[in-house]
Amino acid sequence: MTGTTDRAAPGRVWSGPAQLVLGLAAAVLVSGTGLFLAAVFLHVAPDNVLSRQYRDEVDGVVYPEFEQNWKLFAPNPLQQNVSLDARVRTVADGGATRTRDWIGLTARDIAAIRGNPAPSHVDQNLLRRAWDFYDGSHDPQDEKPTSSRGRLAEQYLKRIALQRIGREVGGERVLEIEFRVTTATVPPPSWSGETGPSAPKVRELPWWPVGDEDYRGLG
Amino acid sequence: MNEASAVEPVEVPGFPRQLPGPPVVPPVPVAPRGPVAALGRAMGTFTGRALGRHQAAVVRIGFGLVWLAYLLREWPNRRVLYGDRSPWSMELAQRLLADDGAFTVLPWFGGRLWFELVYHLAVLAALAVLLGWRTRASTVLFLVTVLSLQNRDVLLGDGGDNVVHLMAVYLVFTRCAEVWSLDARRVGPGRSGVVLWALLGAALAICQAGDFSGDSLTWTAPTFPHIGWAPLFWGLWAVAGFWWLLGRLRPAGEPRAVLDALANMVHNCAMLVIATEVVLVYATAGWYKVQGSRWQDGTALYYPLHLDYFTPWPALSGLVGSALLPVFLISYATVALQVAFPFTLMNRRVKNVLLAVMMAEHLGIAVVLGLPVFSLAMVAADAVFLPTGALLWAAQRLGRLRRRLVGAP
Repeated sequence: MTGTTDRAAPGRVWSGPAQLVLGLAAAVLVSGTGLFLAAVFLHVAPDNVLSRQYRDEVDGVVYPEFEQNWKLFAPNPLQQNVSLDARVRTVADGGATRTRDWIGLTARDIAAIRGNPAPSHVDQNLLRRAWDFYDGSHDPQDEKPTSSRGRLAEQYLKRIALQRIGREVGGERVLEIEFRVTTATVPPPSWSGETGPSAPKVRELPWWPVGDEDYRGLG
Repeated sequence: MNEASAVEPVEVPGFPRQLPGPPVVPPVPVAPRGPVAALGRAMGTFTGRALGRHQAAVVRIGFGLVWLAYLLREWPNRRVLYGDRSPWSMELAQRLLADDGAFTVLPWFGGRLWFELVYHLAVLAALAVLLGWRTRASTVLFLVTVLSLQNRDVLLGDGGDNVVHLMAVYLVFTRCAEVWSLDARRVGPGRSGVVLWALLGAALAICQAGDFSGDSLTWTAPTFPHIGWAPLFWGLWAVAGFWWLLGRLRPAGEPRAVLDALANMVHNCAMLVIATEVVLVYATAGWYKVQGSRWQDGTALYYPLHLDYFTPWPALSGLVGSALLPVFLISYATVALQVAFPFTLMNRRVKNVLLAVMMAEHLGIAVVLGLPVFSLAMVAADAVFLPTGALLWAAQRLGRLRRRLVGAP
């Protein structure tokens, strides 16, 4: 490898201008890489004096494309099975309304996952994470949104359920929908000597009206 | 596009085209001592070689494969996940996107046709990345399609999607097709590169000029570091054109060698970022676990094995979590491994053993917890730390197997 090839080899002798270009580029690249990695580090590290000092800069680099969270099963693994049910109120042609039975939305997800070596995101993530989104943006006492994204979460959850339930139940049009969330703590292993968990907690959401526009694009 | 790889003598161990000979080591001049000389040598390595090109190739193949498999697996569900039938309607998506400014081309036209086009382009891009075909262009298409689909509904993803998302960005900056790729096997630059370059330039110009792209292809961004997507795409496009032009006009000139050195430097920085990213994944996963009461009392492993969403095989999960001693040992070993990983990088042998254990653990997670995409993405990311010798050995075995199957001499 000598100066006559087009490749940069470790032993190559560069001209002055080439040295200048390469030196500048090296300085920019090394410092840029260092700053980027520092920002990612401060993003994944616990909240600290340095990340508070440079919050805007770190967030500017990391959001939206380099956001990451590696607290996988940490500090503790999830120990609760959350399951969502929905029921609807339907209206007959004459105007009489009827409240239908609970439909196990999570139960259907689980049934699709059982025995499946490659579960779909539709069954494993869609409803599960939509509930996390709702839960994180609402006050569990009065079900009022606590952030501007709360309304989006409500729409999302409603549309996921409506897509699975359809426009009609028992030949009658869906008028309203209600969710019920049962949170059951996984009982500790028998050999751990711990006492069993308390009874599952049930949380009921208010009835939400269902309109034609809620079905838009659901197919 | 990736002209440089065509100029270099093809080195494809394990493939029948060429028998793997002894590696060509450039003569190292007897180096003077001292800090200045050391800096000079470091600079020589930094500019002169694409470090870890086999590892880069494996990461490229791994992520191309993971995303391709995912897209094909979800093909029947694609419209519900990212398309016109998504419960996360385009209107909801746009309200969130207006807030966080994530990059996606899907809202540009919204309808089904455009979505199908993007989804199938994503499949082709993943295949091209996997095969290493026109990698300079296909990694960019990979980036665009991965971000477009994932950012259409960020609420769908899990850790696996997150890793693919990050690597899709980092891979653009690596020279990941120097070995084990169609690019490396090509003799001469070929015609398709020029055609692809012109097509992509025209497509980019249309997107840039059209009103439909909204604020997604800006030159600057309102927040720090104030860089939009346009400089990246146009920059990559311009460099590819300049590279080709110099190859035609002055193939033996210094400017071409400077470009080659710049590409090496960018590659080396990107490989450092990929490696650090993997270290951060394990380090944070481990350090946060140390604080967890369930990891401390040694029962942590038991709980994920009893979550309905992560037990495709309840009998198997029950078996794994059935006895005190194995649950305790695996829980403690997991934390120890993850916390120790960054420090084992200083010792090759220990690092390799740990890497093998981690890959095995991820394969276990793939089956037991029903998370194959996440697990394979993690294995692909781990591959950046695999020793070159092991990769060459595996490639040779694969090549031999292939020859036996194809029946070639």
